[in-house]
Amino acid sequence: MNRTETVMRPLLEVEDLSVGFGGFNAVKGVSFHVQPGEILGIVGESGSGKSVTCRAVMGLLPGTARASGRVRLEGRDLLTLGEADWNAVRGREIGMIFQNPASHLDPLRRIGRQIAAPMVRHLGIGRREGMRRAIRLLDDVGIRDPERSARSYPHEFSGGMKQRAMIAAAIGCGPRLLIADEPTTALDVTVQARILRLLKELNRERGLAIVLISHDLGVVADICSRVVVMRNGEVVEQGPIDDVINRPQHPYTRLLVDSQPSRRAYACAKAEPEHAAPLLSVEGLSVSFPVRRGLAGDLAGRAGPFLALDGIDLRIAAGETVGIVGESGSGKSTLARAIIRQNRPSGGAIRLDGHDVHALGGDALLAFRRRVQMVFQNPYDSLNPRMTIADAVAEPVWRHGLADRRTAQVRADELLEMVELPRTLRDRKPRQLSGGQCQRVGLARALALEPQLLIADEITSALDVTTQAQILELLLRLQRERALTLLYISHDLSVVSSICQRVYVFKAGRIVENGPAGQVLSVPQHPYTQELVASLARLGLGNAAGASTPVCSNATR
Amino acid sequence: MAHLRLIARRLMQLSGVMLGISIVTFLLLHMAPGDPARLLAGERASAETIAAIRLQYGLDLPLSQQFVTYLTNLLAGDIGQSLRFQRPVSQLIQQFMWPTLFLTGYVVCLAVPPTVALAILSARNPGGTADQIVRLVGIAGLTIPVFWLGIMMSRFFGVSLGWFPVSGYGVGFTGHLHHLFLPALSTAIWLVPVLTQSLRAALIEKAMADFVTAARAQGASEREIFWRTILPNSVLPTLNLLGVMVAFMIGGAVIVETVYAVPGLGTLMIGALLGRDYYVVQGLTLVFATSTVLVTLAVDLLAAFIDPRVRA
Amino acid sequence: MVDASMLPETPPRTRRTTLSMTVAIAILGGWLCLALAAPLAAPYDPDAIDIMNMLSPPGAEHWFGTDQVGRDVFSRVLFASRVDLFLCVIGVLPPLLIGTTIGLVSGYFGGVVDSLFMRVYDLTVAFPFFVLVLAIVGVLGPGLVNFVIALTLVGWVSYARLVRAEVQTIRESEYIQAARCLGYRPVAIVTRHVLPNAVGPIIAYAVSDAVLVMLAGASFGFLGMGAQPPLAEWGVMIADGQAFVQQAWWICLFPGLAAISLGLGFAFLGDGLGQMQRGQAAS
Repeated sequence: MNRTETVMRPLLEVEDLSVGFGGFNAVKGVSFHVQPGEILGIVGESGSGKSVTCRAVMGLLPGTARASGRVRLEGRDLLTLGEADWNAVRGREIGMIFQNPASHLDPLRRIGRQIAAPMVRHLGIGRREGMRRAIRLLDDVGIRDPERSARSYPHEFSGGMKQRAMIAAAIGCGPRLLIADEPTTALDVTVQARILRLLKELNRERGLAIVLISHDLGVVADICSRVVVMRNGEVVEQGPIDDVINRPQHPYTRLLVDSQPSRRAYACAKAEPEHAAPLLSVEGLSVSFPVRRGLAGDLAGRAGPFLALDGIDLRIAAGETVGIVGESGSGKSTLARAIIRQNRPSGGAIRLDGHDVHALGGDALLAFRRRVQMVFQNPYDSLNPRMTIADAVAEPVWRHGLADRRTAQVRADELLEMVELPRTLRDRKPRQLSGGQCQRVGLARALALEPQLLIADEITSALDVTTQAQILELLLRLQRERALTLLYISHDLSVVSSICQRVYVFKAGRIVENGPAGQVLSVPQHPYTQELVASLARLGLGNAAGASTPVCSNATR
Repeated sequence: MAHLRLIARRLMQLSGVMLGISIVTFLLLHMAPGDPARLLAGERASAETIAAIRLQYGLDLPLSQQFVTYLTNLLAGDIGQSLRFQRPVSQLIQQFMWPTLFLTGYVVCLAVPPTVALAILSARNPGGTADQIVRLVGIAGLTIPVFWLGIMMSRFFGVSLGWFPVSGYGVGFTGHLHHLFLPALSTAIWLVPVLTQSLRAALIEKAMADFVTAARAQGASEREIFWRTILPNSVLPTLNLLGVMVAFMIGGAVIVETVYAVPGLGTLMIGALLGRDYYVVQGLTLVFATSTVLVTLAVDLLAAFIDPRVRA
Repeated sequence: MVDASMLPETPPRTRRTTLSMTVAIAILGGWLCLALAAPLAAPYDPDAIDIMNMLSPPGAEHWFGTDQVGRDVFSRVLFASRVDLFLCVIGVLPPLLIGTTIGLVSGYFGGVVDSLFMRVYDLTVAFPFFVLVLAIVGVLGPGLVNFVIALTLVGWVSYARLVRAEVQTIRESEYIQAARCLGYRPVAIVTRHVLPNAVGPIIAYAVSDAVLVMLAGASFGFLGMGAQPPLAEWGVMIADGQAFVQQAWWICLFPGLAAISLGLGFAFLGDGLGQMQRGQAAS
């Protein structure tokens, strides 16, 4: 055992904690402890029980839940506390922040008052004093112009600012422990990096112990000193972060580590330097949306349209895998939608084999539909909930007259087999499938028309990391087998760079950088790309960057 | 500042809607099958009378020109002349509107406290016994014909027990309160279930909202969370519904007033409809629509006062 | 990714849903049978005047008593159920069909149709529903046919609004984007992918609307603007009995109770359907 442990009494001890909902046991005999001033990570995929665990620690379980075991904060058992005692602990001795800061702030109250409320409640200070401290806290968590921000309402804040405000509210009373439940999952990568830095600073400057819950091993590895790996309500492994990542003992931990995009070697298609005419070329493309006739626009006369894409040029050669990286609002999905003719360009053109895509009609348009297909982001939303998956996959086949309806069903079975879905699932509705299975169906449906170009828009962002790895394997296998041209869109630079040959980096509707994946990752030119790459510098990716590049230029073939 | 801009925008929308309302009420008379002049004159009028009426009301002019005249008159505050009473419709409305306004306010006062109480009782423990009973009573309340309830209540409380008068408006404030109690109660019985269901649903929804969890994680007591977080956030949807309902009630007054013989706008409307006094019908429809629009406006502004997002 | 979604909310819904549905089907089925079998089940001719038995109270002879001209109230309530039940169907179907069609077009295609519809909608909600229907019936002339016409003229708008909102949400979903990307024809997308997913809430709304239509029909009958005497209709019967309510409460009481029970049938059906919708949406 560690020497410090014998000296210092743990701040938080969780012993044999179990939580059940009716007959379902969400957490089974979990034990771990947190030392004062340390950052402990709890990592696991959906359904691992990590959130339920921390809600049990915080006494926030719904009334139907039954918790047993011991949770001790500085030796005091929390599970036996009454409601009034709990209220004296929550917010005072343990603070908590959540995944989606937008929904965790009361929309009707000003930010300053929400931050001041716990202090007024626990420290017995006046409202004015509370407000003064709230402004100082806003400054501490890095919000500019704190006086004005304190008077703002949550809807006037960006996502990152909301999370900072949540942190300010959580640390106002000077708690010893902060529980952070997926605090950066809903945020853009660069914002995520900044919030993590803030947490680290708070930990260092205030000696604040933090329990960081995340599905993302990278995030945990970035700032935690120890990590607990959970699966199906049980702890499978825990220990110092380096040991767990570099010498995982449990097979599941190994799988988790290996599924990290930066650690994974994908068998990519060969980059043939093909300088013939590109398959798809985008020339000076602009897409604008009319701004909602808002009040401000009306009266101030600023009602200009919003430019989602502003003069985009890119080319994709046949057989290539091209990645597009950008944060939310960068216009990357708008590009995908413009290519499949769901957004009209306001300028420029998209050409497939030299023909303007938006000028097509009649049979030429149908032919285009057969050549270009897309897989969507949300596994459940991308399938009609009232159709069986076999029907969904068969539909394009018979609607395009490639087969009659009966033969189309046979074809659908082949397609489902191709995406490795067992035959027994064919008559299920999307709701009866897992997210990864739904994405496979989406892939099968898109490939039913045997397209040349496949657009994949954030197809793994809603999936667990191990599922993501499987889907990527499948996608790349199909690409190789069917000589697909792939346009892969993602917010995750590590995924894109591990499977693509060339990368375009999008920011605010423009391309800020493009080039071979290895080059963009190892020697980023544009400051924004540098920031993106820097935010990836965890889990040993910084040095793995050089290693993953050759992997992708078909070293594994 | 944001409030002023909102008011300005809403007033602009209002003028458009008001123009539309005037078109609809104008067309109302011309929608009737046959000659509007004959309609106005009545079944047994002679050819001369019809011709005279046509001339008097300008019914021989083209439709567009008639509409311009109608609109000009409206802007001048003239909403027509009652054939039966031989008085301007605006005068009639001024005479009959007070009982209706009083009744509407009375109903709101009677309906809001039980709504809040029942909704809280119900939402405290969703699916519990109290909740089930409130919901069942709510469903039943929606299906009771208001006029039937009125008759039954006046029979029981008015005739059998003699507690309340069964018709009229009374004299003085207390007299109004006394006379209008049964009409207001029977309307409230119909209104409370609708509002309770809305507030209950909102309360339950907001009680599970993330910001409630956050408040709990900051150590707020359940009582504080309920009064300062859940309730304010739940009031908004119900407020909107209350606006719709008040507008509905202004129209629904027609029935209750008829049952209890309250000399209000509803009674006037039914009298005009049965007596084929079409300009009164037209004028009243216009007034009912205008008050609906104004109530909606008031509710919108109130919502904006509570919710910063609406102001933005 | 979110473990919080694992926290089960334990809705005790399912049991009540089935209970609601059972009650609803029992009530509606019962009324349907009674209405169909009215000529067999009614002990008297509903319009037969019997001067010797005016205003006789409920008893073995006349279960629900007789009215001011000696007509058997029980028989009249039975025969009136034919009118009111029919009214529920005929008052709901036309607005439902018209509204759904317009709402689909307006919601899916947008454009001119949509902005035109929204103007009509804004205008319609500016009028109190009851007053507008009343004014239209007043101008067209009292009677059941004109009542249904007026109801359709005003009522389709709320259906269209509901459908439009549903369709606009569905239109943005990825399976509709996928359908367009796969090159399906708009008609195929609307009928095969949009409508089936929009239809649930519409049906639930239509059923609750049936309650309102029935109450409005009875109210119009009561006011003398709907069904015309001597036709047996619950509202008309209550209006007839109002003048005699002091001596003969039964003339008013029973038609009202009949209306409430039919209303309850529809309300429970709507409740059950609504719960099913929400249950599906939640899972």
